[in-house]
Amino acid sequence: MPGLPAMMTNFEARKGHSFHGAHEGMVQFLRFAAIRAVLAFFTLCLVSFIVFSLMELVPGDCAERYLAFKNSQGAQISIADIEAERVRLGLDRPFFERWVKWIFNAFQGEFGDSCILRLNINQLLGQKVWLSIGICLGSLLLAYAIAIPVGIIAATSRNPFLNNGLRIISYLGLALPNFLLALMIMLFSTMVFGNSLTGLFSPEFRDAAWDWPRIKDFLSHVWLPVFILGWSATAFAIQTVRALMSDEIGKLYVTAAAARGVSGRRLLMRYPARHALSPIINSLGFDLNRIFNELPIVALILTLTEAGSLLIEALARSNDQQLAGAIIFFLTGSIVAINFITDITLAIVDPRIRRSILG
Amino acid sequence: MSRLIDVENLTLQFDTDEGRITAVEDVSFSLEAGEVMGLVGESGSGKSVTAKSLMKLNAGNAIYGPDSRITLHLEDGPVDVMSLKTDTEMKVVRGGAISLIFQEPMASFAPAISIGEQMVEQLMIHTDFSKAQARELSIEMLDRVGISDASTRFGQYAFELSGGMRQRAMIAMALSTKPKLLIADEPTTALDVTIQAQVIDLMKDLVSEFGMGIIFITHDLGVIAQTADKVAVMYLGRLVEQGTVRDVIRRPAHPYTRGLLAALPTLEDIDAPLTPIPGDIPSPLERPSGCVYHTRCQEVIGARCANEIPKFSQVDTDHAAACHLHDEQGETA
Repeated sequence: MPGLPAMMTNFEARKGHSFHGAHEGMVQFLRFAAIRAVLAFFTLCLVSFIVFSLMELVPGDCAERYLAFKNSQGAQISIADIEAERVRLGLDRPFFERWVKWIFNAFQGEFGDSCILRLNINQLLGQKVWLSIGICLGSLLLAYAIAIPVGIIAATSRNPFLNNGLRIISYLGLALPNFLLALMIMLFSTMVFGNSLTGLFSPEFRDAAWDWPRIKDFLSHVWLPVFILGWSATAFAIQTVRALMSDEIGKLYVTAAAARGVSGRRLLMRYPARHALSPIINSLGFDLNRIFNELPIVALILTLTEAGSLLIEALARSNDQQLAGAIIFFLTGSIVAINFITDITLAIVDPRIRRSILG
Repeated sequence: MSRLIDVENLTLQFDTDEGRITAVEDVSFSLEAGEVMGLVGESGSGKSVTAKSLMKLNAGNAIYGPDSRITLHLEDGPVDVMSLKTDTEMKVVRGGAISLIFQEPMASFAPAISIGEQMVEQLMIHTDFSKAQARELSIEMLDRVGISDASTRFGQYAFELSGGMRQRAMIAMALSTKPKLLIADEPTTALDVTIQAQVIDLMKDLVSEFGMGIIFITHDLGVIAQTADKVAVMYLGRLVEQGTVRDVIRRPAHPYTRGLLAALPTLEDIDAPLTPIPGDIPSPLERPSGCVYHTRCQEVIGARCANEIPKFSQVDTDHAAACHLHDEQGETA
């Protein structure tokens, strides 16, 4: 937090007339949340602009791509056909106009048709985006559900076996690439159980409606990608939590609290753990971002029918700009959203940040 | 006056990767209720470690010598501090009958917990007050140490207060449980000189009002001269001189005390050169044999200084020094 010293001097100057009353505080807090939401919205617009520009930079456009596809099916295509298709798709309009239209539709959840498959993108994506986001959030949750208690224990324990053991596991987690882990597990499971553990659903449930048996089937598949993505995230998070905790435990205010008679679990949880929380919350957005980046490759290996693998498909194989744009929009949207949430949470948890808002 | 605390033969070592380090060796002193004792020495002399021993607050690798005894005399009878084991037993010396004020008031408040919450927490641990009563007393204490608009300050965080204000709040918190002994570990070092004077005055007022004892740790003999009734001088984990402030400052008996006094700047003669003690404090890993000060002492009187640990001998009624210079005087007299 580079802005902290500046903030502190600010407080020095301002002390004496800090806010009064919970109501006023609430109003200011809501204003802060609203400002953050607007900022998040602008971030998303900016990212969409970059994504849209990149889509433009890809040689060829949707019209050519579709007609080329038809051509390969045996149809005769002329330049005039391509031009007509351009006009039909609105591709003859200026770049900026098209972007505004695209972003306007995107916020309404409309992404148009896929270039190649000529299907409505919403129909094509279906629940895949939510499956992807769910898998990533699940991995993040798994990582911190393990890392917070383990990190705290590791930071407080003096047991060399425990500490070294954790260190080795952490290094394994950090050093072993996800795709390799995925391949190893698949190989192992194929050899031992004759089941490669791929996919998110058994064939009979793939297109079924959500009901209890389908949820059970889903859970019996989804644990593997969550575990694989969570594996390195956990190793990373343990290191983070442990370092932050050791840092806080060594601080004077902890000794001072002990000198006042605060002891045991209360001392640990209310003092160092409570104060390590802010930087941990801060790192959540970053971790989710990393998990998102790793998802497509893992998804490809495990042949998951979720948006990550579809993104690779759209980007690398079929050059389907419309589809790729929509997926990237969703993924960045969820990262912006989690950063918004962590900002708000930080303001609730950390009085230093709260006071910088409330003044 | 009645006896408040007796420290006898306190020896404390730390188990470290480099070996066992002696931080405090054979330290004995006592304090009466209402008395202010200055504990003086350079950094690394073991003052803070000694003070923390009274609350058994030293790190987990601390090993107390088998003969070490610390006895706290309370109304309900004496407390053998060394035998306290559980957290519940130690409450009495941790914020109950003994409170500790640290050098850095900013760092000794938890940054994300309001000052009021920390004060109430301490009162809830040590008294059977309700939350509302604890809150009321905390605000009263903040007011008592000269913090204006105490009820607003109660809800604020350490970073919202100025340095002097924080140390006042720290004092208010330390005194809220009405301890019998206050340990102040360089409480004014981090403050401006003008604020220093205010805080020292405040502490003096409070001692006489509450009738408690204070152990005032500092490297500043000037502060001691103003504040303390008696003084103990520490070097490399050992006490080298003890006595009333007047005696020790007017007629320092140990060469180390003389060195400390000579190193003080004086306002009377601002052109006079300062005479620092030559050399550095030795590493605790290489404690000198005999008198711990002999490696820097300018009045060494022979092999005895390097071989034999000097015992305390009286130089006056309430004044003693551990130095072979005074052994001989005692022998020849």
